Formats: sequence, structure tokens, C-alpha cells
Amino acid sequence: MSETVLRSPAGVIAPPGAARGRRRRSVYARRRGRSGLAFVTPFMIIFTLFMIAPLGYAIYQSLYTTKLIGGTRFSGFANYAAVLRSGPFWGGVIRVIVFGGIQIPVMLAIAFFFAAIFDLGVARWGPVLRAIYFIPFAVPIVVSSLMWGFLLDPAYGPFNRLMNAIGFQNFNWLSANLMLPSIIIIAIWEWTGYNCIILYTALKSVPRDVVEAAILDDTPLWKIILRIKLPMVRPAIIMLVFINTIGAMQLFIEPTILNNYQAGVVSNTWTPVIDIYNTAISDGEYQLGAAMAVVLAVVIIAISAASLAFRSRRREFA
Amino acid sequence: MSAPPLSAPPPARPRAQTRRERRRRERLERQDAAIPVELYGLRRGTLTALTACCVLFAVFILAPVVWVIINSTKTQANIFESFGFWFAAPFEFFHTFANLFRDVDGDGTYSQWFLNTVLYSVSGGIGATVLAALGGYGFARFEFRGSKVFFAVIIAGLLVPITLIAVPLYLAYAKVHLINSIWGMILPSMVSPVGLYLMRTYVELSIPRELTDAARIDGASEPRIFFRIALPLMVPGVMTVLLLSVAGTWNNYILPLIIFSDNNLYPVTVGMGLWSQHASNSGDANLYPLIVMGGLVTIIPMIALFALLQRYWRGGLLLGSVAN
Amino acid sequence: MSAISLGKLTKVYSTGVKALDGLDLDVRDGEFVVLVGPSGCGKTTALRMVAGLETITSGTVAFDGQVVNDVSPRHRDVAMVFQNYALYPHLTVAENIGFALTNKKIPKREREQRVRSAAAALGLSGLLNRRPAQLSGGQRQRVAMGRAIVREPSVFLMDEPLSNLDAKLRVQMRSEVLRVHKAIGAATLYVTHDQVEAMTMGDRVAVLHDGVLQQYATPRELYDRPANLFVAEFIGSPEMNLYEASVAGGELVLGSQRLALGPAEAVLAPYRGQKVIAGVRPEDLRLGGAGRADQAAGAALTADVRVVEMLGSEKHAFFAIDAAAAGASALAAAAGEAEADAGLLAEQAHNGMARLDPRSAVRPGQRVTFGVDPRRLHFFDPGTGLAIR
Repeated sequence: MSETVLRSPAGVIAPPGAARGRRRRSVYARRRGRSGLAFVTPFMIIFTLFMIAPLGYAIYQSLYTTKLIGGTRFSGFANYAAVLRSGPFWGGVIRVIVFGGIQIPVMLAIAFFFAAIFDLGVARWGPVLRAIYFIPFAVPIVVSSLMWGFLLDPAYGPFNRLMNAIGFQNFNWLSANLMLPSIIIIAIWEWTGYNCIILYTALKSVPRDVVEAAILDDTPLWKIILRIKLPMVRPAIIMLVFINTIGAMQLFIEPTILNNYQAGVVSNTWTPVIDIYNTAISDGEYQLGAAMAVVLAVVIIAISAASLAFRSRRREFA
Repeated sequence: MSAPPLSAPPPARPRAQTRRERRRRERLERQDAAIPVELYGLRRGTLTALTACCVLFAVFILAPVVWVIINSTKTQANIFESFGFWFAAPFEFFHTFANLFRDVDGDGTYSQWFLNTVLYSVSGGIGATVLAALGGYGFARFEFRGSKVFFAVIIAGLLVPITLIAVPLYLAYAKVHLINSIWGMILPSMVSPVGLYLMRTYVELSIPRELTDAARIDGASEPRIFFRIALPLMVPGVMTVLLLSVAGTWNNYILPLIIFSDNNLYPVTVGMGLWSQHASNSGDANLYPLIVMGGLVTIIPMIALFALLQRYWRGGLLLGSVAN
Repeated sequence: MSAISLGKLTKVYSTGVKALDGLDLDVRDGEFVVLVGPSGCGKTTALRMVAGLETITSGTVAFDGQVVNDVSPRHRDVAMVFQNYALYPHLTVAENIGFALTNKKIPKREREQRVRSAAAALGLSGLLNRRPAQLSGGQRQRVAMGRAIVREPSVFLMDEPLSNLDAKLRVQMRSEVLRVHKAIGAATLYVTHDQVEAMTMGDRVAVLHDGVLQQYATPRELYDRPANLFVAEFIGSPEMNLYEASVAGGELVLGSQRLALGPAEAVLAPYRGQKVIAGVRPEDLRLGGAGRADQAAGAALTADVRVVEMLGSEKHAFFAIDAAAAGASALAAAAGEAEADAGLLAEQAHNGMARLDPRSAVRPGQRVTFGVDPRRLHFFDPGTGLAIR
């Protein structure tokens, strides 16, 4: 039916409902919307039950305190005050910030380096290498920590043996001083492959003719990679910074497992999540633990937002 | 009277290509499509140096895996005394492997843990994929009141630390007697904001609106449209989300650590964490070979799964980077 | 010494596809040469080999007599405008244009000055601080040209730069491109699939088909004396009318009609008693020019008008004569692809078209007589498709 049929001498006949402005959507659209709701409902139910509800419950519980004498009573922000005053907790926060601040840029730089090499097609056996790099992603962190614990064991681990063979002295990789650097290396082992593949696929979507134009302009290779390709994959980098930051701030498994190889190095408050776990489960003070978790969530949000803002203002890669 | 030939007659249809021929052809086409390396102006030395870097990093990645493979064949004494990257008699592989099926330490049996892990990850993974597929389709192709808000809340769920969910879940479970129940593990594993995001992006990218609109005009019902038209087109995305969800649940440590107190319900992650603790505390139970062997058996299925389903998840990861 | 010369340039991909087969071409200094042909004919491949972006399977590319096969595209002093413009999305217009100059380490002041003058030449002065995403298609295209001209190259390559613009803009930009070309004075190789662009812009035009050069000549020459059937049909819009015909008794037998051959009689001597393909352009058919004298002289063609389209500036009359059509579309019909349609639209089936004055009195269903100047007839060998000269 062409438009001309709807035209009356007085003007176009409007479809029903439009006369009242766009406020009321047509019956059809509303019915369609309801089907959409039906598709989304299963997810929303489970999501609400197993994410929103616990969240709400935790926040609710964080406002109460249970004492042996006196039972459970509303305590308002007393728990939060305790958290904010807790030196060890914030020590843990600083520690994971330092951890993330070193590990994330180093890992992203390495991942981008290899992604760029793969994208150039310069390395032989590219697909094989990429598959190898991705292996750590299929390894549970518990297992990675166990494996690395063996490797880095100061007395028996092969790394120290190799270093002795070359002539270097033994390092106690799991000592208090070197525990964090060791974990940084483990984290790089775990995550570089995944980041590398994402950056590689992002680089692959850079239009070929832009690179060809740069070649015709006699642009040196380093400039093509850093000044042209890198800025064009910025969305991927931002997403990766975001994801990696959230993960880094929740450091828990590696220190916990490595502590079994060198007892005592990892304290009960070494990282915020360790602190929360010990407080809520081991010590049974789950309300205080809930308050800690909420504070941690706020810190994570703040840091993620900050790192995103930081990234989008910088143009060059460090 | 036949028409004069203006150009060569159309070529005969090529005979069915074997799989190898097709792959070779694809590889050549990809080579043609990529910018030839010479154009970058790299010196030979640089090329070899770059390849060497890549290989070195691959060695770094493989080192722990190789270590685990080699040391799964050793006795406990040898694990510590012999050189880590080469074998040492006696060859204990099968003996240690058999021990995985026994409750060695009072902490539980590895094989039980392994079965648990498979149960949790497969059911959790399938559940997560189903929910994400339905939800992603719903968010992508329908507008309803609050859809934007709902989606934003779901994505915000990524920011929440695990403990903020796991601890209250534990408390809630205590109240409803779900503490040592497999559903307490499976159901939360079905919540995957990342999966939902990937599925929504995938639907937006690969299902043209015209397709669903045409089906609607033809009078098909919404479920029919979803199952007959949308779902077949969503398969690669679904495979990616399935893989990622299964892997995520397989690797989960904190949640089962908190909600399970019965050894027999532990997944492999928690079980091995427990072994590791006990191994260092009591030097007695010859646990170390078991830990190494357990590690090996844990990682093989996941690596194999990823290797086999490579073609699916490659494209899926791209979505995360492109659709921003 | 030509500025660009291609010698037997051939490209075979590793999958076995032969994209270009022995192309011989030369471009003089300051000349504007157009490579034209349907998609897949190899024109872009040829251009990219001149740029150095595509490896050469065999043959040579030479600039000013020097073979540059092994010279990297970075050092060939070639500037190229890409079909999708290939602008750097994260740089401003000024940075885009000046990018090549930063590579050459040209001092900032001189660089800015050159960027400003290039931008002014293209009307981009007010947009220097915008990013490509904020520009319209036409503006982006001009930035792409600015990026090329600021380098003052000796060879200028353009890969279908206008095909992503809407029709009206395309017409405008045609003259822009020529103006820029004149200002730079460099030898230019321009690729397009649009024969109108080729005819209006090229000093000389090379027509390619399936990787093979069909004809390389001035637009006039291509139009008046096409070398083969492909060029005859490709050049000129609307397409030339082509029919199966035969030569008998010094006349052209076209279905049930006979036309005088005029000066072509001598050329067609070898084809006496044999079939040929005869072509006449729609604009060479005159209505009402067929007086008694013309008819007697055998210079008239009678046809049944089936469809008339009124364009305002001219009338298109689609007609049918009882000779078999021989154009590429007719071949497709003969091969059975259009069989189903033929039955439905039998009353409207036509095999020829004439361009007439808008005030001509033609109606569908009418039987008319067109005047045909025998000198405007084209003849082609049915076997090879080559023009009969």
C-alpha cells in the first residue's frame, strides 16, 4: 500500500495513537515488549536470586552486629567504621593496588607486543604459538599456583637449581620480599595469553587499507604499530584494563596456595579478599566481613572508574 | 543458430574438495589477504629476533605444563630431589594414577572430586548458556520498559567481588538447608553477566532485524522465531559462551570453598587446595605425587576441549573487543 | 619516456586465480589515464601492483623508464587515494593530511604550511581540527585527496574514489578531481567501474575484462570505433543494440529487412554469405528521418515499439525487430535464464532501444521506421567478437 493512498486532501492520516504524541506505544509494540520480557525473565530470576538477593542480604547484615552477649542488634555503620580504621585491611588494599599497578601494564604490554607480532604475520607457526599461549586460560588458578609453587620452591624447585647451575645465587622466591613479585610473574603467566588473543583479534579488525596507506606514506614499522594500530584498538584495551583490574583487586587464590609452600609469609590480611574470607568464615564474624566486602566493592568501582578515565585521556601507550 | 562466444564458457563446477584441499585453499586465501611482510621493511635479523621472542615466551608458558607431565611419573622423593625437567626412575605414573581413586588422606577421593567438577561445570555451563542465550536475544531484539536499566544492572554485576556474593549465599543456604547441596553450587554458576553481554552483542551483529521482522509478518510466534531462525544463527556465539561458562565453573574455587563442608562434594579445585594444605602440614601421606598427578588430570580435559572447539571461541572473543 | 609503463603485467594468486593477464599500458607525463571494467576485471589489481602493494607474478612496472618491480612501495614516490579513503580515524584532518610529511621529517613550520595550502585547495580549511568520523562522505574523500597531493608525488593513483558518494556528489567531484590533477600535473592512473566517469575524465581509457586488456584509446575512439563486442557494449549508455545478421548480395540482412552497407561493403567482403554481428547505437536511430529516399536507399529500419519511457530530456523507445539479439544480456536469455519471464511479458518483449527527441510522437504498439546512417553501423565477427575493419 503506497503512501499516496493514505493521503487525504487535508493531509496525511496519522496511524492510531500517534496523535497523542509518542507517549503511548501501540498495542502491538507493547505485546512484543512482553515477549521480550519473557525471554529475559529466566535470566533475571536466577540473577536476582543468586546475585541481587545475596548482595542485598550482605549489605543488610553489614549493618548489624552479633555478640555472644546481647545477640544480634542493629549497629548502623559501626562495622564500616571498624573496617575504615583497620590498618591491616587497608594494607591489603594497598598491596593489591600495587600488584595490579605493576602486573596489569606489564602484562598488557607483553600481550600487545605478541599480538602485534602475530598480526604482522612475522612469526612462523603463528597458530601453534597462539594456541600455546592460550593454555594457561584452561588451567584453574589453583592448579597454576600449585605448579608454580613447586617450580619456585626455594629448596627443591627447578628454577633455583637452574640458577645455581648458571652461577646465580638461590633466591627465596616465596619469601616475604619476593612473594608479591613472584605472584606477579604467575599472574602474567596466567593472563597474558588471553589478553594477547583478544588484542590479536582486535588488531585483525584494523582495516587493511589504512595500514597500506601508512606504508605508502613510508611510515616506519614501529610507528605503524604504536601510532596507528594501537590507537585503533583502544576499545579493546580499555575493556581489558577494566576486566584485569577487577580481577587483580580480588587476588586470593595464588597467595593462599603459595602459603602452603612457605608458611607464614601470607598473613591473614595479606589481600582484602583473604581478609574477608578469614573474618567471615574462619573467625565467624560474617557481619564485619560483609562490611569489608562492601567497602572492597566500592574501592573496586572507584579504581575501575579511575583507570578507565586515565586510559581514555592518555594517547600513548606507556 | 548459436550465439557467438563473447568470452570463455563458464568453468565446469569444481569437483568436491577434500577437507585438506579446502583448508589449504583457505590458508592461501588468508595469506593473500594479509599484507605481505616485506612491505613492512623489516630486516632479516629483526624477523628472527621477533620469532625468537615468541618462542621464548612459549617456553615460559609450557614450562609448568611440561614440569607437571614429567613429575607425575616420579615418587615423592624424586619430585624434590631429582632435576625437575627430566625424568627419574622409578616410573610411578600408573601407581600414582591409581591412587587418585582412593581416599588417600581422609580428605576425600580425587576421582569423586573430578566427577563433581564435571557435574557442576557441565550443568552450570549449560544452564548459564541457556539463560544467556534467551536473555541476550531478549535484550537485543526487544524493547520493553526497563530493558536498559536491567541490562546496566546486570553488567554492573561484574564489578561485585565474589566474596560479596559467596559469603551471604553461604549464610542464606544455612537457613534453607542448602549448605551441602549440589544445587547450591550449580545455580549460582548459571549467572553469567559476561555470557549475557556476549550473547546480546552476538545477536545484534549476526541476526539482521529484517529476518525476524519478515518472520513476524509471516505470522510466526516469538518462540518459533527464536528456535527456528535465531538460534541456528547464534550457534558460534552459543558455543563460545558455553565454553567460557564451563571453564569458569570448572575453575571456580571460592564459591565451593565457602558453601561445601562435605569432602565428597568438593570440586577438584577445593580438594587440591586441601591436599596442598595438608601436604605441608603433615609430611606423611605421600601427597605430593598425587597433587602433581591431580593437577595433570585436571588440566587435560579443559585444554583438550579448547583445542577441539577452537573455531568457535575464536570469533566469540572478537566480539568482546569489537563491540564497544 | 612515459611516466608509467606496464609491460605484460600479470598476476596469478596462489590459489590459481589469474587476476591480470599480460597488461601493456603506458601513461605519459601529466596524463590522466582511466582503467575501467566490470568488477573482477583486474583493474584494481593492476593499480595495486603499480603502487607496490601487490606482488608481481610476471611482467614489469616502470617509472620513467626505470623498472621498479623490486622497489618497495615506500620508495616509489606514489600517492594513492583508496576507495574507502583509509583515513586514520584517531587523527584530525590536519594530522591526516600531514602524516606523510612527519615521516619525512619535514620541519613543523613547512609542514603546517603545506597542509594548510593543500586543505585550502580542497576547501577543507575550516575542518582541519575535525576527526574523520565527524565528516561527511564528500569531505572524507577530499581529505583522502589532500593526503595524497600534499606529498607532491610523481605518480598519482586513485582506486574508485567516487564510488562511495551519492550520484549528485559524484558529478561534482568529477570536476574537482580533474582540477586537482591539473594543478599537480603528475601522471595519474584512475580506476573505476563506471564508464561515464571513464569517458568524461580520461585522456585515454583502458578497458579491461577478465584480466585482459580489451582496448586502450581516447574516449572518442572507444565510442566511435570499439575494438570488440565487449567494448562496444560496455562503453556508451544506453548500450549499443546488437543483432545477428548476415551479408548477402552487398546488403546487410537483418531479420526480414535489408540495409545498405555503404562504405562498409568493402570491409565486409570476406563475410559475403556469412553471419556477422551488427550493432547500432540507440542515439544513431532517427525517428522521422526515414523519408522515401532513405527507404529506397536501404537506410531505414522498421520496428514495433513496445515500451516508451519518458525521461524529460529524451524519450527511450524500446522496440522489437525480427532479428535475433546478440548482446550479452540476450545471450543470457538464450541460455535459458530469462525463459520464465519471456512468456509473461511477450507483448512487451523487445530487443532494441532508441533514444529520441522528447517531443517525438511515439506510442507503444506503434510500428515506426528509423533512419539509419550506414556509416554509423558497427560490425563484429561472430566467432572472435572482434570488430570488422
